[in-house]
Amino acid sequence: MNTEKSYAVPKLHSGTVIDHLRARTALRCLQVLRLPETTRVTVGINLESGRLGRKDIIKISDYELRGDQAAKLALISPDATLSIIRDYKLHGKHDLTPPLRFRGLLRCINPACITRSEPVRGSFIVLSNEPVIVRCEYCERSIDAADFIWAK
Amino acid sequence: MVAASDFKGRDVITVGDFQRDEILFLLDAADRFEKGHASPLAGAVVATLFFEPSTRTRLSFESAVGRLGGQCIGFAEAGVTSQTKGESLTDTVRVVEGYSDLLLIRHPKEGAARLAAEYVDIPVVNCGDGAHQHPTQTFLDLYTIRREVGRLDGLHVVFAGDLRYGRAVHSLVTVLALFDARITLVSPGFLRLPEEQLDALESLGVSYGETEALEEALPDADVLYMTRVQRERFTDPLEYERFKDAYRLDLEMLTHAREKLAILHPLPRVTEIAPEVDARPHAAYFRQAHYGVAVRKALIALLLGRADEVLR
Repeated sequence: MNTEKSYAVPKLHSGTVIDHLRARTALRCLQVLRLPETTRVTVGINLESGRLGRKDIIKISDYELRGDQAAKLALISPDATLSIIRDYKLHGKHDLTPPLRFRGLLRCINPACITRSEPVRGSFIVLSNEPVIVRCEYCERSIDAADFIWAK
Repeated sequence: MVAASDFKGRDVITVGDFQRDEILFLLDAADRFEKGHASPLAGAVVATLFFEPSTRTRLSFESAVGRLGGQCIGFAEAGVTSQTKGESLTDTVRVVEGYSDLLLIRHPKEGAARLAAEYVDIPVVNCGDGAHQHPTQTFLDLYTIRREVGRLDGLHVVFAGDLRYGRAVHSLVTVLALFDARITLVSPGFLRLPEEQLDALESLGVSYGETEALEEALPDADVLYMTRVQRERFTDPLEYERFKDAYRLDLEMLTHAREKLAILHPLPRVTEIAPEVDARPHAAYFRQAHYGVAVRKALIALLLGRADEVLR
């Protein structure tokens, strides 16, 4: 009997798997990850998921995400899971949870905010995960995920 | 139970940093400071960093400090500072911290006072940061309402004019939630209170209504808070021209008002209140400006831990 599972996105030898991404967020996630140009990436969009109904998945070969990259993903798709694979084996698995409060990662969208003109990093409080809404701690502007400006 | 020591060393960035009991303690202290003649700030130096022009706020703070025996240093416009040489705000405040015991800061950018407070150990008071917040204006507005109407709880407060850019309105409207106020917002659609503020009112459970007609809102108002349409906040001068004369309160309109109505205005006034209204007992706006000194005296003395002599 063939017990091998069929994968919509091929298995990874080594690298990072970002699974259970909210459907149709994968391309936005890739944009903010700013991976090295030659990185091999496989993307699945609108795949069937028991938990989410539809989900996206990203597999990145030979590249392990840094903490700041994972934090950005958590702000786009708070229900995602991140797995590190080494030689086909699971080396670590984490649920991506947005921090309650964070520095950097984003720039405030308010052009009149002091952080847009001073050499300081933005500071934000997460108001809600569903949908993701954060608030700038300086000018107190609320920002929806769709309007995020990512810090360089 | 609030004590004077709860204020020592604190920053005053937004009204949200203060609980109802703390605000009432401050207003009670202002009552004492309005009459007091002690000099608890002798030897203290207060820095006024005004990166944006101001008349009332800066002068009333300078008056408050002077009357309490302290000294003010500072500047009244950004053009005379090292900002013109490219110095950052965070550098400026760290330098001035060494010269003073407390920083008063007005800045055109929103969140500037919060940022400044992160870089210095002495108290920072936000004297207006762009269209964001102006907490000491709110304290003096509450003080005025209590003095003029006799109470703070359960009032019907009507805000009229530029509710979009008016930071005095943004600060006061949310703090009124602590006093069970009913609020009516009167403005042209373009100058409505921002959605975020409306959301905040809803989440605080404040009963509010909106209208474009001041005549509709006025008859059962306890307080009318008039504001100027602020030319300096408009990027498009044509938009300013469209709205600058949106409202004009005159004697005819006041015939429908309650006898005890108090009219407040953060000033400066342009055309939104006819000069003949000034002579009516309703007109509280000049007294409001004067009360600012008492409130700021109390606040500075409390922040510097020097209020005991007057409050005793």
